[in-house]
Amino acid sequence: MTSSPSDTEAAVHRLQEFADSAAEAVGGEAEVQFDTIKLRVSADKWVDALTTARDDLDLVFFSWLSAIDWANDVEAGDPLKEEIEERIELLCTVCDLTEGRRVTFSTDLPTEKPSVASIVEVYVGANWHEREAAEMFGITFEGHPDPGPLYLPESFLGNPLKKSYPLLSREVKPWPGTVDVEAMPEKASTENPEA
Amino acid sequence: MVTDNDLVKHLSEAQVSVELQTEDMTLNIGPQHPSTHGVLRLVARVSGERCFDVKPVIGYMHRGYEKLSEVRTYPQITALINRIDWVSGYANEIPFIVAAEKLMDVEVPERAQYIRVILTEMARVSSHLVFMASYPLELGAATPLFFALRDRERVLDLIEGVTGGRFHPNFNRIGGVKPNAGSGPITKKTPQDLPAGFLGETRDAMSVVLDTCEEIEDLVAGNEIFRARTKGIGVLPPEVGAAFGVSGPNLRASGVKFDLRKVEDYLPYNKFDFDVVVGENGDCWDRWWVRLEEIRESAKIIQQAVDGIPPSGPLQAKVPKVIKVPKGETYVRAENPKGEMGYYIVSDGGPGPYRLKIRSASFSNISILSWILEGVLVPDIIAIMGSLDFVLGDVDR
Amino acid sequence: MTQFITDLFSNFWVSLAGKLLLVATMVPVIGMLLGFAEMKLSAKMQSRVGPYFAGGRWGWAQLIADGVKFFQKEDLIPEDADRPVFKAAPILVLVGTVSLFLVIPFGPGLIFQDLSVGIFYALAISSIGTIGVLMAGWSSANKYSLMGGLRAAGQLIAYELPLVLAVVGSVIMAGTMSMTGIVEAQISAGFPFVLVQFIGFGIFMIAALAELSRIPFDMPIAESELVMGYVTEYSGFRFLFFFLAEFANMFTMSAIAATLFLGGYWLPFVPESTLEFTGPLILIGKVFLLTFTMIWFRWTFPRFREDQLQTLAWKVLIPLALANIAITATLKVVL
Repeated sequence: MTSSPSDTEAAVHRLQEFADSAAEAVGGEAEVQFDTIKLRVSADKWVDALTTARDDLDLVFFSWLSAIDWANDVEAGDPLKEEIEERIELLCTVCDLTEGRRVTFSTDLPTEKPSVASIVEVYVGANWHEREAAEMFGITFEGHPDPGPLYLPESFLGNPLKKSYPLLSREVKPWPGTVDVEAMPEKASTENPEA
Repeated sequence: MVTDNDLVKHLSEAQVSVELQTEDMTLNIGPQHPSTHGVLRLVARVSGERCFDVKPVIGYMHRGYEKLSEVRTYPQITALINRIDWVSGYANEIPFIVAAEKLMDVEVPERAQYIRVILTEMARVSSHLVFMASYPLELGAATPLFFALRDRERVLDLIEGVTGGRFHPNFNRIGGVKPNAGSGPITKKTPQDLPAGFLGETRDAMSVVLDTCEEIEDLVAGNEIFRARTKGIGVLPPEVGAAFGVSGPNLRASGVKFDLRKVEDYLPYNKFDFDVVVGENGDCWDRWWVRLEEIRESAKIIQQAVDGIPPSGPLQAKVPKVIKVPKGETYVRAENPKGEMGYYIVSDGGPGPYRLKIRSASFSNISILSWILEGVLVPDIIAIMGSLDFVLGDVDR
Repeated sequence: MTQFITDLFSNFWVSLAGKLLLVATMVPVIGMLLGFAEMKLSAKMQSRVGPYFAGGRWGWAQLIADGVKFFQKEDLIPEDADRPVFKAAPILVLVGTVSLFLVIPFGPGLIFQDLSVGIFYALAISSIGTIGVLMAGWSSANKYSLMGGLRAAGQLIAYELPLVLAVVGSVIMAGTMSMTGIVEAQISAGFPFVLVQFIGFGIFMIAALAELSRIPFDMPIAESELVMGYVTEYSGFRFLFFFLAEFANMFTMSAIAATLFLGGYWLPFVPESTLEFTGPLILIGKVFLLTFTMIWFRWTFPRFREDQLQTLAWKVLIPLALANIAITATLKVVL
């Protein structure tokens, strides 16, 4: 976007090369779209993949961990245009501190009772991110040293970021909402503004 | 029957225990407290002045941004996300807008990009000046507060002159910046972008900011007491910082020379000449000093941008009236004043995102609190927390 | 007429009542004046204006307004607090301060009571404030107040020693503990003792700042950590007592420093016969200089941490003060 076309092409090429080498090292599939590398691994190799990333690929910086709830029925917002297989996709982005390479690892978990091994042993910073994913999506992280809600109070029921969780304001006013802005008065000086 | 002999024998065998049973005290620092930058609660077990165990409790300000953005369109979301890190308002919008533009494959005109750089760096100056003001106040020195905030007002006035808002500018549009200043009868005919005299006033304001940096450095940096309170306190080794996800000035103070402005291409920083400020030890002093120097570097960038801005040009690329972002996923991150802020947009081709993940800097920055605050004295808790420069809106989203 | 007044005041009880009345009016007035000075001076240092609206453009009535505000506030006592101790604490602190006024010489005969152990009495009675602070911290039933009270205990007791030892140098040079006697010794010596006793003067000022719990030694209050330290739970007129006590104490500590080191109510070129009238003005001028320095320090420095405070007191100030005494005593015998 801010560099010349040949620079961009070279950058894209380097990105694809790195993605392929990372996929080989970890044993997953790489997908590069819009300058983002997404490496899919299977859920049982989740911890190993991230350990390889930290040790061999030099991706020592833990950026974030979260999930996407792929569902066909949504309580709030627009549903997907095409029917897809329902799953919870766990994402974890790790980067390096020299050239700024980043890889988003992704694994699929079943929508009912999703559970995966915790990566707190690999990246210490995953502690809080996993707690947040657990309370927002209902994912169980096995081996997490300190599970428990992070943002939500103890008495909260439900997992808010799942697509099946209703938003109270959208129960009252359905998406996409109504237009309730009043028109501007034509002559501001002669007419009384409407109350 | 107890005789005197029995009593004497009993007393002589009695063990006199002089060890007093002391208990630790559980002290609740926050959520209402003068120094916690918002509603952060630290449950600290202290024994005298030394604290053994600190557990941060967050979520008092959780506003549910990610769920909200699932029911908003992209232009509506830009109005919301200013408020994540409310001290540096403009900088929060940038990674989101760039991500959306990437998905839509829109090329932003050059003048708009220069304006974005100027406003982002002003947001950085403003945020770091707030740090310069509030950090010595937490240690007890009340005067730098007034100096820093007095000159921050100039920067905020400039931001308000351009965007209309001091803290929540909402000035970015997908494809550039807001093209028309207003929609009244005069402004509609003459699309204005920057107000008249903006460039000259910005140059003046930046020289004033540089003078203030000198003043604050005189007042605070040479102060023996300040040095004694911050040097060697709260040392963060770079590996631990990277594993926790600490970013921005906090990580650079530990010696890691990494700045997203040099590495990522979300804004044309490669056209400007500036240094990446790196500290040595990773203690509170270094974190303070790195931010002071970053104000100076940002002032340099703004002056270069003001000198190099293309004199005229469109402010927004041609985008359809109703924005629909095509299907795709991308993650764009930016160097926010507090650290690395990123947005992962999962788009399905609709008017709003299917899922928006906000990676906020302060959330990862303060996840180190239980590690770094073990075994420190109570006044040092305040010193270390202040030096991490976090904002609760950023932590709790 | 004058004969009548002199006879009246030669009666012990009448003069006692008069002195008590004078002290009772002086303390709040001085407290308010110094508080106002602090507000205006700190504003100038911070590029602000300070009180502006109360009483016209100068804002001179700000402290009066504050005093009235404090008086009409609700008297809140926390439920778990120890009531008699809670109520007694501000009174003890104020008593410790007010009693110091008795031995400040405003002029040759203008002293409330010229005790022969003037300075000894002053140092002893100022320690009563320490108990008051501890009582305030303990009885408030609040963990923050408790921490503030404990810090205060450590700090105030630690800094009593440098305070006392710094004074000894001046007493040795004067040969007497009576406050008027020390001033007269400086008059007869022809120079204020600070020229020789500069170490003692420095230590006294630092220790006085610590005794007043002012920045850089305000760990007991530590506004950014402990909300307000031992004063957290006090509101209304009880808080006013603490507030007034702090400012009145600033005055008395500065006055003692001025008497012991700077020559008290005497200036070298002022003829001695006029000292009865110009003496109070001279003393107040010196006190103003010292309080200005105290205010200046407060708004410039951050605060010390508790262990750094204690290190300063025990490892730096006390050895220096002891060395000062040794040198003074030796030189006094030799010269």
